[in-house]
Amino acid sequence: MIVGRPGNTIRGKLLFVVLVATSLALLISGAAMAIYELRDFRETWVNDLTAQADVIGLAAAPALQFQDPDAAYEYLGLLKAKPNITGAVIYEANGALFASYSPSEHEVAFPSLPDVDGHQVREDELILFKRIVANDEILGTVGLRASYNLTGRLLDYLGILGSIMALSLIGAALISRRLQRTITEPIAEVTFVARQVMEQRDFSLRAAKTSNDEIGLLVDAFNDMLNEIGRRAKVLERSNEALEQQVRERERAEAARAAGERRNRTLVTAITQVVWVANRRGHFVEEQSGWSQYTGQTRDDYRDLGWRGAFDPAAQNELELTWARALNEPEAFELELKLWHAASGAYRLVSVRAVPVLSLEDAVDEWIGAVTDIEDQRRNEEALRTLNAELEDRVSARTAQLQDANKELESFSYSVSHDLRSPLRAINGFANLLWEDHKDKLDDEAQRKLSIIRGQADRMGMLIDDLLAFSRLGRKSINRTHLDMAELVANTFERLNGSHESSNAEFRVGKLPGATGDRSLLEQVWSNLLSNAIKFSSREDHPLVEVGGIVEESENVYYVRDNGAGFDPRYQEKLFGVFQRLHDESEYPGTGVGLALVHRIITRHGGRVWADSRPGDGATFHFSLPKDVPHE
Amino acid sequence: MNEYEHVEILLVDDSALDAELAIRGLKEHNLANDVVWVKDGEQALDYVYRRGQFEGRSGVGPRLILLDLKMPKVDGIEVTRVIKGDPQMRHIPIVIMTSSKEERDISESYSLGANSYIVKPVDFEALANVASQAGYYWLAINRVPG
Repeated sequence: MIVGRPGNTIRGKLLFVVLVATSLALLISGAAMAIYELRDFRETWVNDLTAQADVIGLAAAPALQFQDPDAAYEYLGLLKAKPNITGAVIYEANGALFASYSPSEHEVAFPSLPDVDGHQVREDELILFKRIVANDEILGTVGLRASYNLTGRLLDYLGILGSIMALSLIGAALISRRLQRTITEPIAEVTFVARQVMEQRDFSLRAAKTSNDEIGLLVDAFNDMLNEIGRRAKVLERSNEALEQQVRERERAEAARAAGERRNRTLVTAITQVVWVANRRGHFVEEQSGWSQYTGQTRDDYRDLGWRGAFDPAAQNELELTWARALNEPEAFELELKLWHAASGAYRLVSVRAVPVLSLEDAVDEWIGAVTDIEDQRRNEEALRTLNAELEDRVSARTAQLQDANKELESFSYSVSHDLRSPLRAINGFANLLWEDHKDKLDDEAQRKLSIIRGQADRMGMLIDDLLAFSRLGRKSINRTHLDMAELVANTFERLNGSHESSNAEFRVGKLPGATGDRSLLEQVWSNLLSNAIKFSSREDHPLVEVGGIVEESENVYYVRDNGAGFDPRYQEKLFGVFQRLHDESEYPGTGVGLALVHRIITRHGGRVWADSRPGDGATFHFSLPKDVPHE
Repeated sequence: MNEYEHVEILLVDDSALDAELAIRGLKEHNLANDVVWVKDGEQALDYVYRRGQFEGRSGVGPRLILLDLKMPKVDGIEVTRVIKGDPQMRHIPIVIMTSSKEERDISESYSLGANSYIVKPVDFEALANVASQAGYYWLAINRVPG
């Protein structure tokens, strides 16, 4: 369908043209008529008014002759019948005003002396003067003043013209609409069909012919064109199909050819071995297809001793020497040389092997040999060697670094243990001597202070001991044996419980699965966990320490539970750090290394440590040991 | 009692304070009568071999050497090596005094033939234990205040 703004359609354009033409014609004729009419109107009006003045003159002549202004006034009064006359006046021959008339109350202004004969248009008024002549004698002058009213007339006229134009335009539009249909409809039809053909690619569609005029011819031409296009499309389609068929066949052929080529190429690269046959003097006689393929030499190239040319010029001497020796004393030999490889356009390292074929009389019949490409192999070996060497360098450098670091650490802890302790020992020892030798001279306060010094020196000694134990642990190797955990726990508890003066903790041991680990280190773990449990439950009325174990799929989990002070679970993370303490030293003495030690030992055994608790609700410490012993 | 007058303990320690504390301890156990204190390994060997300033010294022994490890000139390890390497002297028991349980020290001195070790400050209970275990009853007996 034709869609679009009216101005864009033929229909719209036609209508536009008709309307413009009509309006133009009407306007021009209307304007011509108006001009003519206006001129005519003025002339008629002036003539009319002149005649009026003549009539008044004729009628007023006797009144002038007899000096009877009343009669003249009467005549002027007759002008009432002419509403457009706004004033009249009669002058005497000498120019004096004789009589005047005005339809309204206002005096109409006339010049005090009469003007010459004639008329003048002033604004919207026509003023006219006419001599009153009787028997060739001028008796006076008539002056008339009339409203001209040209505008009103013009407006009337334009109103009429406008209505006529509107009517004619409507008429023209209606008529042209009707007429247009005969033009635009067939065109729309052609367009519609053309569009359908485009969309459906159906060349059998035809536009209907409705008339025999130019439009009819257009429809015919269009239909003929469709016919032709349809025919050509069919032909094109057929040739396309044929072409596609051909392309498919060609593609298949191409794929097959490419596959073949790939296979050949793969074969050539896969078979890096070339077999050759030479006569007893080392001449190539027969066709050497493998040789040709590898070196790119033609039969003429390699014939006789030509094959030597394919080897690197630098290798020629060695080749000649070896061959000379071999021809002299026929024996199998092997050489590594650079041979031209046509496919890569470079010399490649090959291993050439030659074996003499002997006749029954032990004479050489011919030589059979093989050429093996060992370039890649050599290069890989070389790369591997380099890589290994680099790796070894790096490992030894790293080992040296580690050894250095270890040594440094060792000497550090050695200094700590010796140099740091020496003054500490003196502080402690001499404080003891002061205590022993001069106690009586010290008052209570002095004794209290001295005991603080001794206590703190002791404590510092413990801190250093623990820190050293902790650092030693990182270097100590783990000596794994199978351990009876139940026995280990029982011994440890007995030892500990004896050493805690005020402890009377109840001890409950559940099932404890065996473990594999370092005896002294795991004893340390139990010792630290149990002494913690005893320590932190010591203030309870009925201190209770429970120990148990759970066998899980890949690990054994052990736990130590007490009903003591517990800790805030928010500080779980801190629990296993060195010198981390969650309780006041005065309440529960300790250096804060015990759990860090436990953590390190268990981690080195491949296990995990964790704890849960609530303040005042006791604490449970768990650790796991893997069933499969990890390699360190 | 006469026999015990010959008890000689050679105390080898470069730290005068440590030595004072040790001698004080020995005194409290009635063992200080015959303690000889030398300041380093060189003097210790001079004493044992009666040379240098100890040339022609009287008395036998020493019957026990309390040996510090870390000393200037000749250290404790070296002293142990020399004495335990000498068939004439190797019977003299050597007790290493160490600042810590630093295993390197202990294992090295043990491998050289040291008889025992104690951690400083010298714990005389432990020393008595060590001595009695090693069969030096004189020390164990002597430590009972008389």
